[in-house]
Amino acid sequence: MGVSLGEERLSTEIGSVQVLRAGTGDPVVYLHSAMGDGAGMLFLEDLADDKTVVAPVFPGFGESEGIESIEDMEDAVFHLLDVLDRLELSSPAVVGLSLGGWMAAELAVRYPDRVSSLVLVNPVGLYLPGAEIKELFGRPLRELAEDMFADQSHPMAQMMSQLDVMAASDVEIPFEVLRPMLQSMAATAKLAWDPYLHDPKLARRLYRVSAPTLVVRGAADSFVPGAHAEAYASGISDARLVEVDGAAHLLPLERPGELAELVRANLG
Amino acid sequence: MSATLDPWVASEGFAEMRFFSFHLMPYPALPDDYDGPAWVTCPNSLFDPAVGNQIYNRYLDELILAEELGFDGVCVNEHHQNAYGLMPSPNLMASVLARQTSRMKIAVVGNALPLYDPPTRVAEEFAMIDCISGGRLIAGMVVGGGPEYYSFSINPAHARERFQEAHDIIKRVWTEPGPFEFIGKHYKLRYVNSWPRPVQQPHPEIWIPGVGSLETIEFVARNRYAYMGIPYFHIDVFERMFTMMREACQRQGYEVDPLQLGWLVPIFVAETDAEARRQYEDHFWYFVRRLLPGINISPPGYTSIRSFENILKGAKTFALNLKTWDEVRDGGYAIVGSPETVTELLSENLRRLGPGNLLGLFQLGTLPADLTRRSLELFGAEVMPKLRAAFPAGQPVLGAPAAVA
Repeated sequence: MGVSLGEERLSTEIGSVQVLRAGTGDPVVYLHSAMGDGAGMLFLEDLADDKTVVAPVFPGFGESEGIESIEDMEDAVFHLLDVLDRLELSSPAVVGLSLGGWMAAELAVRYPDRVSSLVLVNPVGLYLPGAEIKELFGRPLRELAEDMFADQSHPMAQMMSQLDVMAASDVEIPFEVLRPMLQSMAATAKLAWDPYLHDPKLARRLYRVSAPTLVVRGAADSFVPGAHAEAYASGISDARLVEVDGAAHLLPLERPGELAELVRANLG
Repeated sequence: MSATLDPWVASEGFAEMRFFSFHLMPYPALPDDYDGPAWVTCPNSLFDPAVGNQIYNRYLDELILAEELGFDGVCVNEHHQNAYGLMPSPNLMASVLARQTSRMKIAVVGNALPLYDPPTRVAEEFAMIDCISGGRLIAGMVVGGGPEYYSFSINPAHARERFQEAHDIIKRVWTEPGPFEFIGKHYKLRYVNSWPRPVQQPHPEIWIPGVGSLETIEFVARNRYAYMGIPYFHIDVFERMFTMMREACQRQGYEVDPLQLGWLVPIFVAETDAEARRQYEDHFWYFVRRLLPGINISPPGYTSIRSFENILKGAKTFALNLKTWDEVRDGGYAIVGSPETVTELLSENLRRLGPGNLLGLFQLGTLPADLTRRSLELFGAEVMPKLRAAFPAGQPVLGAPAAVA
């Protein structure tokens, strides 16, 4: 089980972007989080057993170009439309994690016909008074890891904590290790610094989403309060909310098989 | 930009070394049990307004004293939501100084341009200070520190663009007749027509502080402004920055004037070396260990990845990493000692670095009023005259060590 993802380059209006691809079958587009996840993800490899998984790498992440042409979520949505057009995906299933979930929702409110089914995993994008999303920028990685993972023994959680320990000591962290993280955060900040990780207009546009929608929440996610998943689920007419135990914010990394099954079920 | 606009780019040789007293106006009363950052999230419940009433007036007195002691000018600067420096509006301080002094320069180093919207506010307030003071303002312009982008929720990815646009607006409003229209990416102003205009024509001397980013240095060289090296790094870092500035000016087709370079450094003078260290050291460590934490956060997109990599190379020498007094002394992080020692150390480093502006931080951390005053007086009476003699007008600063009389 599991098909590893190949990498392609796609020429877009704002530059060349990386696209990860695997499998055959109905297309499922995966939009990654601020962590720039994608390559080597078990969740995507699992899904590729019977789907065509297409994971475009957003400008500013990895080796994808064009971030200088993107100022806000509006620009991000136009870029995604361009990507879908060039990949000849008229109406794929779309799955998005966190920042990617927010992008998926922004795409679906504007162009409901371009999304056949929607899975939002721990999406950001809304502002709910009294249920604020925690700080992403400038926080110690060890602290972030605690919000992102239910199980701190996950290899990525371990690596984040370890980097923190190294930074606090005199150990020099190779810049090549830091570079992808700096790039990902800089790209995220362009979209999400102000307003912080949300679009004030999104909530009252959610009624526009027509695709069958599954909102997936990691029960142990302490980064985005549970009220956000509930608000998405109640704002979108054809939406269900599922809570997955033993997972926090980066749910696809902790519960890959379970999420793949949920995505399949939502495709109907 | 023609050289004639910039009086300090002298054609007949170099002007005399200038001495400035720089004040950060720090909060000296953080409780002993607070060990968090001094920036962004440092709880403002820790600020005691009674202390505020006392220290603002005391710090202003210390700046005003500089004129009497023969300094060429004073410097104030802008920081927000922190205990390190209590001047969210340095322009308020400068306007007080404009009234209470009569001879010396008042350098605002600077206004954080991206935080002003519209930035014509800076052109207006600077012109007011220049009018009130009779043409004594030095107009500093900065991008603002990393923490300010948290404190103002302004996207750090826009920091450089906003700075550039704001600078262009201010420069144009000082050099072109208004009204005119400015439609940029970040500022869209249909009627730019600032009143008042500065006394110094076409505009006051412009200073840009920096930590060594090549983009900033090239901007300064291109515009023939002056570059102020930001302190708290090893002395070698200043040498690298000033060399970069010298080379950037050569690429523009001219030799840097020493007055285009400023070295900002903590200075403390007492009767003897032993006395100086004994009186100063604890106050210096309060500054390093209580007020610096948090100053160095770099929000995502604030600098290019390439610049960030360069800044990281110097980061190891940032004062926050200092552990021992030997490191402080050997790295030139603070110049401390008897008048003779301070004269010798400053002279040696001025020759090595070549700046025409020495910006001394005399009050630092918890350094109390009596010690600050004494240090300023000793500097004015016993150090400054010797340095003036050692670095006369008409001669470059940079060069082989010369005997200090």
